[in-house]
Amino acid sequence: MFGKISPQTAKQHFKSAGYRLALLITGALTAGSVNAADKTLTIYTYDSFAADWGPAPGIEKAFEETCDCDVQFVAADSSIGALRKVQIEGAQTQADIVLGLDTNIAEAARETGLFVEHNADTSNLSLPTGEWTDSTFLPFDYSYFAFVYNKENVEKPPTSFTALAAMPDDFKIVIQDPRSSTPGLGLLLWIQQAYGDEANEVWQQLAPKIVTVTKGWSDAYGLFLKDEADMVLSYTTSPAYHDIAEGDQRFAAAPFEEGHYMQIEVAAIVGSSENKALAEDFMQFMLSDTVQDIIPTTNWVYPATTTAQGLPEGFEKLHVPENSLLLDGIEVEKNRNAWIDQWVETLGQ
Amino acid sequence: MLSLQNVRFAYPGSETVYDFSLQVTAGEISCISGRSGSGKSTLLDLIAGFQPPVSGAIHWHQKDFTHLPPDKRPVTTVFQRNNLFEHRNAIDNVVVGINPKVPKQGHDVERAKAALTTVGLQDYFDTQVTLLSGGQQQRVAIARAVLRDAGVILLDEPFSALDQTTRAEMLSLIRTLTTKSARAVIMVTHDLRDCEAIADSHYVIEQGTLHGQSIN
Amino acid sequence: MLSKNLFRFSGSLLPGLLIAGGFLLLASVLLYQLAAQPDTLSLSLGPRFLKILFWSTVQAGCSTLLSVLLGIVLAWALSHRRRFRGRRLYVAFLSSALVLPTLVVVLGIVTILGRSGWINDTLRWLGHSGFEPFIFGFSGIVIAHVYFNGSYVARTLLSRLESIPAEQHKLTRSIGLNAWQRFKMIELPSIASTLPSVSITIFLLCFTSFSIVLILGGSPKFNTLEVSIFEAIKLDFNLGRALGLALAQLAICAVLIMLGSRFSKGNQLISVPSGKQAAWHDSKMLVAIQNLILFIFAVLFMLPILAIITDGMAADFISLFTNKNFLTALLTSLIIAALSTVLVILASTLLASAFTTLATQQRLGSSRLSQPLLKLLGFSSTLYLAVPSLVLGLGFFLLARRIGGEQNLWAVAALLTSNALMVLPFAVAALAPAMVKSANRYDKLAFSLGLTKWSRWRLIESHLVRPELAYIASLAFCMSLGDLGVIALFGNQDFITLPWLLYQKMGSYRTDEAAGIALVMLAITLAVFLLLPGLFGNTKHKSHWRQHA
Repeated sequence: MFGKISPQTAKQHFKSAGYRLALLITGALTAGSVNAADKTLTIYTYDSFAADWGPAPGIEKAFEETCDCDVQFVAADSSIGALRKVQIEGAQTQADIVLGLDTNIAEAARETGLFVEHNADTSNLSLPTGEWTDSTFLPFDYSYFAFVYNKENVEKPPTSFTALAAMPDDFKIVIQDPRSSTPGLGLLLWIQQAYGDEANEVWQQLAPKIVTVTKGWSDAYGLFLKDEADMVLSYTTSPAYHDIAEGDQRFAAAPFEEGHYMQIEVAAIVGSSENKALAEDFMQFMLSDTVQDIIPTTNWVYPATTTAQGLPEGFEKLHVPENSLLLDGIEVEKNRNAWIDQWVETLGQ
Repeated sequence: MLSLQNVRFAYPGSETVYDFSLQVTAGEISCISGRSGSGKSTLLDLIAGFQPPVSGAIHWHQKDFTHLPPDKRPVTTVFQRNNLFEHRNAIDNVVVGINPKVPKQGHDVERAKAALTTVGLQDYFDTQVTLLSGGQQQRVAIARAVLRDAGVILLDEPFSALDQTTRAEMLSLIRTLTTKSARAVIMVTHDLRDCEAIADSHYVIEQGTLHGQSIN
Repeated sequence: MLSKNLFRFSGSLLPGLLIAGGFLLLASVLLYQLAAQPDTLSLSLGPRFLKILFWSTVQAGCSTLLSVLLGIVLAWALSHRRRFRGRRLYVAFLSSALVLPTLVVVLGIVTILGRSGWINDTLRWLGHSGFEPFIFGFSGIVIAHVYFNGSYVARTLLSRLESIPAEQHKLTRSIGLNAWQRFKMIELPSIASTLPSVSITIFLLCFTSFSIVLILGGSPKFNTLEVSIFEAIKLDFNLGRALGLALAQLAICAVLIMLGSRFSKGNQLISVPSGKQAAWHDSKMLVAIQNLILFIFAVLFMLPILAIITDGMAADFISLFTNKNFLTALLTSLIIAALSTVLVILASTLLASAFTTLATQQRLGSSRLSQPLLKLLGFSSTLYLAVPSLVLGLGFFLLARRIGGEQNLWAVAALLTSNALMVLPFAVAALAPAMVKSANRYDKLAFSLGLTKWSRWRLIESHLVRPELAYIASLAFCMSLGDLGVIALFGNQDFITLPWLLYQKMGSYRTDEAAGIALVMLAITLAVFLLLPGLFGNTKHKSHWRQHA
């Protein structure tokens, strides 16, 4: 690794490191409290959204150019984690916006009474589900849950949950916890909608295949890339990352006969925010072409609008499910706790 | 008779060279004194086999045991302290001397009881040894030493932690046992009164060698 | 007369009792915070409580049993091989297991035992198909627990075995006992008094284990109460359940601690006579077995550490050390660790001197009060192990919400408190015997010279217990540096510590950076733990320190 950097750059690196260290020592324990701009817009989101390689840095830069404010993304270890953080902090919370929940958990979030209307113009949305009517939660991207595998390791991927359960004993998958992670919850609802009353039996058959249940998507995906599992619960769009960003064509999403459950990611404004106008501006900005063009190649999902530029090259290769599933949010909220308790019970046998 | 002929020894990295010559007749008690660090314990370690001599020979009744391991020697030791297995009773502590399997009954146990009776502990067979007094604990150790089929008994300051009365009792017990069973006894002590009370001969260690003579 | 005596000692007694009481009071105030929340609808244990309890007990039981058995084997081999090159380092590494950052070691263990870990790769290279993944779930949790606690057992028992008096060695040799008979007659009895308390401590640590179960747990099946509390707070936001589980954990652990203290006869902490050591003179066969044991354990112990070093060396340290997040985390961790160290030193000194006062009074038989107080003190210092640090953390969080003020300052307070509670049981256990020893030796002299408090501390204790203080300082520093615990609740991008950053990097697939951070943490921990006591413990007492280390 050291070889990549010339002595000159290395020197600069050390110099700037020394400078930064000096800065840090003076402000280590109160970091982040000093800002150049007047207003700070604080957005709680999940870790991979806020990461250096995620959409957040690009969005932050673009919005700061227009707003004369400081945008701060605060990463929780999962999107539901971000919601819980706001709940725990209560009125003291710094959050102006929570970003990254999905339609499945939105009703639960609505019931906390923490969120207010977004007042954004949603006319340019072009979701497969049609017109958007929710005035609190604003969608900004979508994709379909799918199991992703490495074509070199898995020659014949399973084509359904039944086929997955029938795979050889050493075939392992890694999934996420429905209590903490939206993909985890998505899988629960996927099987629920596809199998109804028999969902629990499907889970019982799947249990021996699960190598571990992680708290968030990125833990699971990391384990999969470290080859600790043959398949990981992710999105139909995930192979685009490997293809476009890494030029690596080995990864693919396994099409399932039951169809694929859809995830629409949403954002909402926190009621206690002191920057509501700014937050509303940001919400509208999320639907602008600027942001919508950033999303496909950073969050590796479909944008929520049709932009002038269109989808980046490589997305056309992805499998688009013919049969997409999505349960009504209110129905999900009615049954979510019972289904999750049942799930914990089944996996905890 | 126990005899040491120019038994030499030196600790690694130390300049002091020990050179011991000594003869103790069966039925006699030989007393060894000397300052702290003069080599009293080293002498006992050499006889018991806890340290290997550099040269010289040790005999018991003309049999050379210089290079035998400790448990094959005709030697048994009673230390000043830590003689006993604290979590066991008196019988176990004696019987272990002749049978490492520590049987709970049988011939060996009867012999142990007899030995304990000899030292006056017939009422304490099943008592855990930590509950015994200091003098009684040393009696257990002596019972074991006597029971073992060893001609040579080494006493490493065995009574220095005891009060005067108990000490006198113990000394006379040792005297009786020695005479009765024809053992050779070497007693290391820093108290000259002990030597005067029961010893047949008295040696002092100085500069790594033994000096001394018969008392009687 | 009785009260007069107590009064005379009150100077060294009161602060310690206040500290002990203070911590317990703080813990209850924080627990109360949960109960007082409007979100806390009703106290509950959740539907899976009994199953959690069952699996935690089985898991902690297996972990304890294996740790103790392996620890005995290793301590036995090590006590018999008294001279070999690198023995001091071997023992020092064993001592360091207590302070190695959990996450770092877990990362190393996964690198070794994972499905595409070193061992499986080697097997595949040899033409074998490799083994099934087993590191996630029950076996993984137990393996990680045994790694840490087995070493701790071995280190603790080694000191006991090494204090077997020379006469006993000679005795067994002259009687001609074989290895098993010797073990039964003198070695087992020498560790027997320590085993119950060590076992209980390890059982508590495994029963309340957090980070290991969080990462290696696999599914909700093997959750401990502590992890369930975490989930109740963080996943379900069910404060009533969190509080219910916390109270249940406290109650169960309190019962265990009381049972444990009943097993240990008398006051163990007073006077450990240590005689001159004698060599064992084992047969060649036995020596070979011992060497083999030492070799195997060394390999098992070093492999995860080697994995961290190997993976860590590949990391890009220039970008790591110019990364703002990393530097902030490093600095925050160092500051927190330093503050925790000061706090632990103060608290454990006061607790230990209160303990000493009571223990020596008991020895003199002068007070009826001292016995129950002593019991209470011993009980409360162990009970800290049972207080769920997450609940403490949440308590602070809620208190912050009520009182207001800078969030990060509250986070610092929460971290310091939970660090202190985590280290105190070990610190007091190391310091109290040394203080009692010095009291036994110098009490009469000090009283006859009329030395009091400060002058006495300066003249006597500060010299005699310096090695222990150095050891406790390094213990506190390293344990505080490596603990994830409370920060799992408090962590945000303004307030990050090294373990939290590592947890995040492990989560996102930044394995290079994770390995780099892990290596930095490992290096700091080993440097502080292996060097600090040597620097501050004066040479005269060095061997003394090693006894406790």
